[in-house]
Amino acid sequence: MTHDICGLGRRDVLKGVGAAGIAATAGCVDLGSLGGGGGPYEIGMVDSQTGSLSAFGERNQRGRELALADVNDVGIGGRELSISVQDSQSVQQAGVSAAQQLVNQEGVPFLIGAVGSGVTLAIYQSVVQSTDVVQLSQNSTSPELTDFPDLLRMSPTGRTQSSALADIIGEDGNESVAITWVNNDYGSGITDAFLNAYDGEVAYEASHNQGESSYSSVVSQMANTDADAWLFVTYQPEFTTMAQEAYSSGVDDQATWYGADSVQGSDVLENTPEGSLEGMKVVLPSAAVDQENYQTFASEFEDEYDRTPTAWAAYTYDCVVTAAITIQAADDFTGAALGDTIRDVTRPEGEQVTSFEAASEILSDGSGPSDVDYQGVSGPIDFDENGDPVAYLQILTVQDHEYESTGFITGE
Amino acid sequence: MLASLVAGRSGVVAGALAPGVTQGGLDYLPQLLNYLANGVVFSAIIVLGGIGLSLVYSIADFANFAHGDTMTVGAYAGLVTMGAVGSAGPELFALPAGFYAALLAGIAVAAVVAVATHYLVYEPLDTDSIGLLITSIGVAFVYRALIQIQFGTGFTEYDVATLRPIPWIEEFTGITVTEHEIGIVLVATVLVAALHVVLQYTTLGRTMRATADNEALAKVSGIRTERVITSMWVIGAGLAGAGGVFLGLYNQLSPRMGFNLLLVIFAAVILGGIGSVYGAMLGGVVIGVVNRLTPVLSDFGVPIEPAYANAIAFVIMVLVLLVRPTGIAGEGVS
Repeated sequence: MTHDICGLGRRDVLKGVGAAGIAATAGCVDLGSLGGGGGPYEIGMVDSQTGSLSAFGERNQRGRELALADVNDVGIGGRELSISVQDSQSVQQAGVSAAQQLVNQEGVPFLIGAVGSGVTLAIYQSVVQSTDVVQLSQNSTSPELTDFPDLLRMSPTGRTQSSALADIIGEDGNESVAITWVNNDYGSGITDAFLNAYDGEVAYEASHNQGESSYSSVVSQMANTDADAWLFVTYQPEFTTMAQEAYSSGVDDQATWYGADSVQGSDVLENTPEGSLEGMKVVLPSAAVDQENYQTFASEFEDEYDRTPTAWAAYTYDCVVTAAITIQAADDFTGAALGDTIRDVTRPEGEQVTSFEAASEILSDGSGPSDVDYQGVSGPIDFDENGDPVAYLQILTVQDHEYESTGFITGE
Repeated sequence: MLASLVAGRSGVVAGALAPGVTQGGLDYLPQLLNYLANGVVFSAIIVLGGIGLSLVYSIADFANFAHGDTMTVGAYAGLVTMGAVGSAGPELFALPAGFYAALLAGIAVAAVVAVATHYLVYEPLDTDSIGLLITSIGVAFVYRALIQIQFGTGFTEYDVATLRPIPWIEEFTGITVTEHEIGIVLVATVLVAALHVVLQYTTLGRTMRATADNEALAKVSGIRTERVITSMWVIGAGLAGAGGVFLGLYNQLSPRMGFNLLLVIFAAVILGGIGSVYGAMLGGVVIGVVNRLTPVLSDFGVPIEPAYANAIAFVIMVLVLLVRPTGIAGEGVS
């Protein structure tokens, strides 16, 4: 054996040297490109392009495209930003393999993802946690994410949503509430936080699975209580089925309906009978609609897509812009450097900027991350020590089968 | 697992019995009847899906995982047809003529797609039943992908108004059913009865049964098994297409609608005795009703929520198989 190892032929040695040379050269090219010029900075994104949350995926796509255009008009130190997008199918398993591909194979140091809180957590725990990759969720609102300080998110925690719902249900004079929640991290997170915040009677509280063909048993059980408020913590297709079944069983006007953000959408209105949702109140995270940069974003969005943007598109927009600012501000395009920088560029003690262009101008003067405080189109961001942003919530009420804005709430 | 599910949530439900239960058994009856009625409607759809799955298993000899997506294909074919025909015209069970056109289109398109898949994919493949099973999973992905490309990933529904329950039934029995639900059950019954007649009293049925029993023997007896297999695909996929259209009416259409139901259909078919058409019917009814009766548990204070209906359906399937390994109507192991 020893003889064999020592007896490497000249050819083998040459091969080895050649390979090492190529590797070294590749390394050089890589290092060189970090300085300036060269290929795009590639970051990853796990999105719900299909599955229960595909409506979010569509919104996110619009926000992402718009943000990429805005960033690449300016460029990050002469280089472009590119995002490799993978589909989570709105389920954990596919989400984790999408993230694995992005992090382990494509080697992205910055990962935007995911939509569903369960998927986001699964990705964080099985792919990201053991690395120094920065994960920034675009849409997850489960309070559970707060327990993971290094897992950042652009959408505010549902805890604020839950306490807002608890307040509204109480203020509306309801004595008891029946709750049905989707059996995952999002549903249980919002529901747990709601139960903590709500001091009235809970007449019914049970979970249901995503993607069932019928929820008639859930609806009958809720109808069988005397609760005067029904709270739906679930997704659009599931809620639509429940609304249809409540209507078909004639129990839809038995109680006032309330919903978490994820049961609201134009698909729901289109696919539920007229009048079945009358008076339903939904609390959802809202963009900073009164800010000038939001209005610019909204008009750009309308020009491009011929519709008004949702808060979700605004979150994704801010995810991409925040990533771009972070990349420019960080010393290095590595997870560790980006992770050290990302909070600083969104928090006070820097000059407030409302666009990537403005941030880029400050940073190209040689200023550090703490000289910039990005004010997003979705709100002030200001990531706290748990990785959560400051919350801004809107109350929508269904009137004549349309969502009407009936107020705003700010929360921490 | 179960313990953690139960213990994981605060036990509000476990603590409170449903009002009907606490006030005495009789008040609970309408609620129970409602669960049962829901179960019957749900069963009708499962039976339509289950028959095809069982037929394919008995004649083509593999578990067809594309069957759920065949239902989806039927549902979307119905959507296109309904869009073209419109919802004007005479109505039966409060369903416009256009819906029945959609139903026929769903049956036809699902049958054509399945037969085409058979000749293009399954037939040329020289592999065993496991190979075919895996292939059918691939076929399912392709069906679903094509539907997503064409119709997007969101959900939609037929242009049929959602109905209120029929007042007089609700008044007399407390059961809330709509005309649509009655329509689903009756049409499904007619289709199943027609299949029974075909299987029992026609030459096609006899040759199908013969092929299912012993394909080689059927072949040497002069039965054109190739033609029988084609007929089997037409019947199985056609019924799946009808099931898909009804599922779309019952709930709404989405690219995953059939696939989401597939495991329950498998449970029904295996419970009934895989390969037996009548077993699939029976199993479908049992699984469908049990699935919808799950809330009774939590109404009576057992801390198992309706979310675990499918798990319970599978537990029942396993229990039945422990006692009767061939399923309820399955033939003995030879």
